[in-house]
Amino acid sequence: MIDKFKQAFQEEARELLGELESALLELDRKRDDREVVGRVFRALHTIKGSGAMFGFDDIASFAHHLETAFDRLRHGQLEATADLISLTLAAGDQIKTMLDEAAGHGSVDRSRSEGILAEVRQLTGLPDAPAEAPSSPSSPSGDGGGPILDWRIRFRPGPGVVLNGTNPLLLLRELRELGQLRIDLDTAAIPPLGEIDAERCYLAWDMVLTTAAASTAIRDVFIFVENDCDLTIERGLARPAETIAPVAMTANRSISDGRRAADSGTASSIRVSADKLDQLVNLVGELVTVQARMGEVAARSDDADILAVSEEIERLTAALRENSMSIRMLPLKSSFERFRRLVHDLGIELHKEAELTIEGADTELDKTVIDRLNDPLVHLIRNSMDHGIETPEARRAAGKPRTGTIHLSAQHSGANVLIRLSDDGRGLDVEAVRARAVEQGLIDGAARLSEAEIFSLIMAPGFSTAREVTGVSGRGVGMDVVRRSMDELRASIDIGNQPGAGLTVTLRLPLTLAIIDGLLVRVGHSHFVLPLANSLECVELTRQDIQDSHGKHIANVRGELIPYIRLSEYFQMETPRPECEQIMVVETESGHYGFVVDQVVGDHQTVIKNLGRLYRNVQVVSGATILGNGTVALILDPHRLVQNAVQGVSHNKRSDGRRTRRNSNLDRQNSKQTNVFVQKGNRIDGK
Amino acid sequence: MAKVILTVDDSASVRQMVRFTLSDAGYIVLEAVDGKDALTKLTQPVNLVITDLNMPNLDGIGLIRSVRANPACKGIPIVMLTTESHEARKLEGKAAGATGWIVKPFTTQQLLAVVKRVLG
Repeated sequence: MIDKFKQAFQEEARELLGELESALLELDRKRDDREVVGRVFRALHTIKGSGAMFGFDDIASFAHHLETAFDRLRHGQLEATADLISLTLAAGDQIKTMLDEAAGHGSVDRSRSEGILAEVRQLTGLPDAPAEAPSSPSSPSGDGGGPILDWRIRFRPGPGVVLNGTNPLLLLRELRELGQLRIDLDTAAIPPLGEIDAERCYLAWDMVLTTAAASTAIRDVFIFVENDCDLTIERGLARPAETIAPVAMTANRSISDGRRAADSGTASSIRVSADKLDQLVNLVGELVTVQARMGEVAARSDDADILAVSEEIERLTAALRENSMSIRMLPLKSSFERFRRLVHDLGIELHKEAELTIEGADTELDKTVIDRLNDPLVHLIRNSMDHGIETPEARRAAGKPRTGTIHLSAQHSGANVLIRLSDDGRGLDVEAVRARAVEQGLIDGAARLSEAEIFSLIMAPGFSTAREVTGVSGRGVGMDVVRRSMDELRASIDIGNQPGAGLTVTLRLPLTLAIIDGLLVRVGHSHFVLPLANSLECVELTRQDIQDSHGKHIANVRGELIPYIRLSEYFQMETPRPECEQIMVVETESGHYGFVVDQVVGDHQTVIKNLGRLYRNVQVVSGATILGNGTVALILDPHRLVQNAVQGVSHNKRSDGRRTRRNSNLDRQNSKQTNVFVQKGNRIDGK
Repeated sequence: MAKVILTVDDSASVRQMVRFTLSDAGYIVLEAVDGKDALTKLTQPVNLVITDLNMPNLDGIGLIRSVRANPACKGIPIVMLTTESHEARKLEGKAAGATGWIVKPFTTQQLLAVVKRVLG
């Protein structure tokens, strides 16, 4: 049991060290912010307190010295100097190695601990006082063994005792456990009925306790109230040895021992390796696919018993799936907080001043996604620091505050999480990017590219706008790494540029990589899946409705005008249009949109399969899934569908540009062509 | 009916230890990460509050004062977790209306003994 606590402490201490670090970095900027000093103090205090509780005495005493220093800082007896801050940062790292050692990795350089403490003492002028030894005033007492004595006890609690949560009867009961107790109640102080305040205590007790327990054990019973009550404990006469009380106590103890033994088998949380979780999710994925087939078979068999069983299985798989997915969800907080140090360190290295602000760190995301998000974000932050944020002088010249701001935020958006990294630096120079791309032979000098296409260039392998290679970035490995990791995560990257005022990179990540709730729809003979998280409602679209809107692709849904996209037209599928079609109303960033389909089949637990490298540039499709009857349905990305429909009203307009690019290197490397899919839509889905 | 205990501490490991120990002993344990969080949890019936003193947002002393000022929580026992080095804080907590205290570091047996003393 205690090992489990130790492990919890290990994890917590690491979090606290992260907090300590970020608080210290903040303190570095705002030297006399009491609030921040308080945060540092609390982190150290908790490390010390919990460390001592779970047997990490070396860590506790180490943290104690620092805590003392910050306690004095808190009370204004000491000043926050750069030396103290970097010393405490080093001390944090030292505690980390102590934790590592306790976890069985590496060993601690004790002389370094001593060195840090010596420096702390020097800075604070504190004497070399050891942390006070853990003491326990309320230690289990009352053990027999002494002579059996009579004790006369008079107990008159203060009037407010009940209001403070003390129940005097419990104290009497506790006394009784020490031995034989005779109680006389003194009611003399009770006033006439009209003057009684029901919340006051007017009673007193005179007791005789016959016990072998020591007087400290008796006094210990009253330890919480002794300052606000009249309490006298006097020794009475020695009595011949009696065995009643000790027997009762041993019986008690053996019962509680037995319970403790039985309880040590239970656990409220266990640690499981991430691999096992991945396996679990894979198996659940397979199970969901098989269950879909089972449902299909059951529906065909027309056997009520099998149908009932199949429904039960469907319900259970859905619950199992939800459960196993939720196991892997983690908040982004710890991942985000780490970047503060990165920004701080990069600032020193590059002689720039920047501050990282964080928003939405409580957003939860699948663990695998979080793990793979780290490297791309490091690259993006490096890029912002190196290329985006200017030197303090240049910033002042441009009329900006000396210190640059890098803002990292996360927010939910349907079945996606948006992670935004924006800086208030100089932004991207579109012309420079273009010139550089021509120089590097990525594009033809005559090519006419849209701004979005130019931005996609910076994600081409080997591309760099940096004039010189710095220690931080400029080697041209960076954005293409980001791009590749995002492709693996089925995430998209959007770049928003305000020349001179900053750059915003938005990563749109799927909540999970494995299974989603989807809505299965049919168009002609093909099936598609739309993420249920974005879907608002399904309404009918009759020929009459179409006539009423005079051929415009707009439907009137309870007074709201909703533009729609007919999937059969979008994918150029030549299927007869049914008399009554259905519109799926979907929520996207740019408002409500409808997708017109032949039929809405129903909700579908969708196990996401990747489409493979060949189709990785197809934006509107985020994956595929296998239906119960073995056919493939494509999973559509409603955001992209809407974006493409809004931007590229006509595909013909772009065909010229495409021809130019087809000859260039770019086309092979990273062009994003939805058109390929649009034209071959019917073939892709396996018909 | 099982008694409900609210443990208030910004240290997850201390909360976990309190929770394990007390739920093993048959209590229902709620957790709060600081005083502010605790006040939101106190809208439901709670039989005992065990609170740390040093916490962000609303500290233990502040929590004790707010609970004592709340008629709905009248007479509810509050045990504070203190460290030996903070005798003054202990008195402050007592003055604010704490029922008792446990000195950190403590063992599971000590915790159970104190809970039993104030809760029966």
